[in-house]
Amino acid sequence: MDLKDISLYVDDRPAEGVFRVHRDVYADPELFELEQKFIFERTWNFLGLESQLPKANDFVTAHIGRTPVLVARDTKGGLGAFVNVCRHKGAVVCRAEAGNAKYHVCPYHGWAYDASGRNVDIKDRKSGCYSPAFDAEDHDLLPLARVARYKGLVFGSLSAEVPALEEFLGDMRFFLDLMMEQGPRGMEYIPGRAVYTYRGNWKLQLDNGLDPYHLTSTHLSYIDIQSRRRAGLGNVEARQFDWAMRESKEGGSFGFPHGHSVYWLDQPEPEKRPIFPAIPEIRARLSDRHAEWMLKARNTEIFPNMQIADAITLMLRTFHPVAVDRTEMRSYCLAPVGEAPELRAWRLRQFEDFFNPGGMATPDDTIVYAECQSGLAAQPMTFLQGHSRGIAAAMQGGNDVAEALGIRPTVSVKGGFTMFNEVAFHAPYREWARLIQAGVAGGKAYP
Amino acid sequence: MSAALAAGVEVLGREAMYLDEQRWDEWLALYTEDCEFWMPAWKADGTPTADPQSELSHIYYANRKGLEDRIVRIRSGKSPASSPMPRTAHLLGAILPLDPPSPERMRLRSTWVCHVFFPRQGDSHAFFGSSEHEIVLRGGNWRIAKKKILLQNDAIPTMLDIYCV
Repeated sequence: MDLKDISLYVDDRPAEGVFRVHRDVYADPELFELEQKFIFERTWNFLGLESQLPKANDFVTAHIGRTPVLVARDTKGGLGAFVNVCRHKGAVVCRAEAGNAKYHVCPYHGWAYDASGRNVDIKDRKSGCYSPAFDAEDHDLLPLARVARYKGLVFGSLSAEVPALEEFLGDMRFFLDLMMEQGPRGMEYIPGRAVYTYRGNWKLQLDNGLDPYHLTSTHLSYIDIQSRRRAGLGNVEARQFDWAMRESKEGGSFGFPHGHSVYWLDQPEPEKRPIFPAIPEIRARLSDRHAEWMLKARNTEIFPNMQIADAITLMLRTFHPVAVDRTEMRSYCLAPVGEAPELRAWRLRQFEDFFNPGGMATPDDTIVYAECQSGLAAQPMTFLQGHSRGIAAAMQGGNDVAEALGIRPTVSVKGGFTMFNEVAFHAPYREWARLIQAGVAGGKAYP
Repeated sequence: MSAALAAGVEVLGREAMYLDEQRWDEWLALYTEDCEFWMPAWKADGTPTADPQSELSHIYYANRKGLEDRIVRIRSGKSPASSPMPRTAHLLGAILPLDPPSPERMRLRSTWVCHVFFPRQGDSHAFFGSSEHEIVLRGGNWRIAKKKILLQNDAIPTMLDIYCV
């Protein structure tokens, strides 16, 4: 296939009602390399929460594509992000996931850096017979080209040629506000996280996180468990809502510039959400609109590497693409800072019931991703038929819901739950195609 | 070995056998209805979570109903992760009695490895860790009132279920 003709990969013809993604997009190792170069390394990536780093010298580590990153709070209170690689021999310097350290010392030859990335020691420098040319070089950790925060979410970019973070997020910010403003004192990760891998391309998780169509097939066993619980059998303490009640509900999706997307639904039984008791406080602090929308189910994709799902309990997950057919996930339970203990326990039981490799839904997804990855090697297959539901109901631009919210999406859908629209995938794949095409053509990511 | 300790060791052995042989009803019957089943998650600082009410767990159930849900899912034939069923072999070792919390209970610490074969992928993974069982005499039988599982290799390839540990 010809990489210069991106329509061979993402066939996007809105006027004709066509949106098709080629199987190679998930399966071609060359495209995986191009994604690293032209997507992950040329745009904003989510790195962590500011609430993970409250004190001087607190740090977390993350990845931008294949680049190890260190995010640290310096002694002046500033937040810095660096390539977490020793300038000497290229070893990863900070090997912990999170913590507090005044100095980060390379495990190999002992070069040391402080929380602002500054090189504070080259071991045995004086006796090292270094040349003046070496002395003239900078030895600090390489800073990321850009670091910025939005409502407690920390993002970084390896490229300086990215739009301002607020512009990058655009009107997706409204949906991030719905996640990050649930607590009056901000949001935090509940201690503990899940790290898991699956045998599949990172975009299989991207798709799944915006896909209600699979719920009534992949998760049939979970639906059975919900039916039993309605009869009082099983773990009713997980307080899951009644899935059958979804069928009569209305929902939709919005796509935004730069690849972000949200899928929403009028959620039944909002009283089962741990946020429900806080709704009067939220209404007073923010607005009726915020309170109303925080009770809807919202699954979001912040392109390229993060999703927040809030169908019942808030979950944030990041993708670390390891190879074309292998992805490492991290998932966190997000909660208001200072949440009452009984609400936190409620939240945890809901979260663990459904999510994570040890939950009763996530494994059914990740096992199926492996089946997709095997199937995507099928040579006679070209374009998939998995991005078409809802196209006839899609409006380019905003619909009445968007207008009421004062947001300007590039594409909107509204309809019954069982439309199970797949238009929510369009914005991410449009951006995917745009960035790959710009890179291959030698152009800027954001001209 | 005292008779009580031998009975406790037998409970652990039976639990492993029932899981490996997918004798789910007998496995469930080893647990008391008010049992606590807990597998903590790990934190970013490299330590396991310590309080299931305020920190994340891989699995936490305050009674047996959560385990019953698991068996419903496994048996449903509708869970892609559970069909075809992975095959397992539990190996138990270093079973040691710990100070009992009360005279009518015993507390056992064991080290375990669970080899899990995934038929669809044609390969295996070995989960390993340690467990603490609290075992009580109910109706003339020793049953599990509490189990805490510490999964040591916490980078999980795709999935983790009650039969993997």
